[in-house]
Amino acid sequence: MNKEMACHGCDLLVDVGGLKSGESASCPRCGHFLTKYRADSYSRVLAYTMAGLILLVMANSYSFLSFSSSGLESVITLRQTPGAVWEYGMPEVAIMVAAFIIVIPTVVLVLLLALCLPLERGIYRPWLAPIAKAIFMSQNWAMVEVFIIGVIVSLVKIAAMATVVLGISFWAYAGFSICFTLAVATLDRYQCWERIEELGAAQA
Amino acid sequence: MTAETAASRNLAACHICCKLASAELHHCPRCGSAMHLRKSDSIQRTLALLFTACLLYIPANLYPIMITEQLGKAEGSTILGGVVLLIHHGSIPIALVIFLFSVMVPIGKLMSMFYLVWTVERHSKLSPRQRTVMYQVTEFVGKWSMVDVFVVAILVALVHLGGLLEIKPGIAALSFAGVVIVTMIAAESFDARLIWDNMEEENSDDTTS
Repeated sequence: MNKEMACHGCDLLVDVGGLKSGESASCPRCGHFLTKYRADSYSRVLAYTMAGLILLVMANSYSFLSFSSSGLESVITLRQTPGAVWEYGMPEVAIMVAAFIIVIPTVVLVLLLALCLPLERGIYRPWLAPIAKAIFMSQNWAMVEVFIIGVIVSLVKIAAMATVVLGISFWAYAGFSICFTLAVATLDRYQCWERIEELGAAQA
Repeated sequence: MTAETAASRNLAACHICCKLASAELHHCPRCGSAMHLRKSDSIQRTLALLFTACLLYIPANLYPIMITEQLGKAEGSTILGGVVLLIHHGSIPIALVIFLFSVMVPIGKLMSMFYLVWTVERHSKLSPRQRTVMYQVTEFVGKWSMVDVFVVAILVALVHLGGLLEIKPGIAALSFAGVVIVTMIAAESFDARLIWDNMEEENSDDTTS
């Protein structure tokens, strides 16, 4: 079946109809990635999403980092990271940090669950389109992997001053960032919307 | 056979759901997002955001990003000062990471975005394909500059030892976060398809399949 798609990079019309499971298409003119078809993509996204959500709960329940020097100790949780910036009079930075590392990733994962559960079973729901829209609009603003690099850089910066211990929450967050990245990368924009449209048409 | 674009058939592609629909529609029939043949006022918007980012980048470098208070003595460190300090401590790899994400990436992003905007309506030494790759790289590295802001947030929360040792955020953290966000929006508002729209039909090696 002929299925045309306009390349996001150069607007070339490309037929992406006959992809088999596991095959992906890129634009022949500008090389931009177009789409990847996987027969089991929604089960995969669901697996990553559920693992990610469990790890996220863990990341919020234990201590994130602890820091001790000359007999004094300070322990922080994940939420205290933006919280402390707020207390020092920079609410704008605190809101940004909280949004990029906790709020947006959490919302995207919960929405992925709500989107992929019906898609995986092939059931149409009227909220599929608004949910997918919210996911694709906000996913670029999640910075979980950047935050992990930030933690590592911070550790090296203060390693000379004091003893720093990584808590369970840090490892859970590291696992969460991997699951989150995989979940978002596995959900293919084009295929997902085609599926929603198909299911909607079958319903009507 | 020449390349057939969606625009040449008067079709607009939705940037949220990839749906192809008549360019006369203002909203995508599938997901309801605003739809245009090309992103509206792409060049002006991108340029305005790029100039904003340039302005924000000045205080981001002049003011301290982080203030260390040790036994009541406050000492501020700027982004570059932090890099120099790390080199003195011998943490060369981390100094390189900070230099890459906080200095090279923002400046490189601004320069490549200015170049892309400049060459949209002019002749460029780089082929459209090379410029598309340049745009994709710029778009991809965008959020990685936030590393320095996250480092400040973590250190401020963590280093809290009574009056002995404290770290406070400096005003540059705010302007630097502003630079990162504004350049990310600038990259998003630039329409990469413009690179190809104004291309002269000089390239004879057509790769349409």
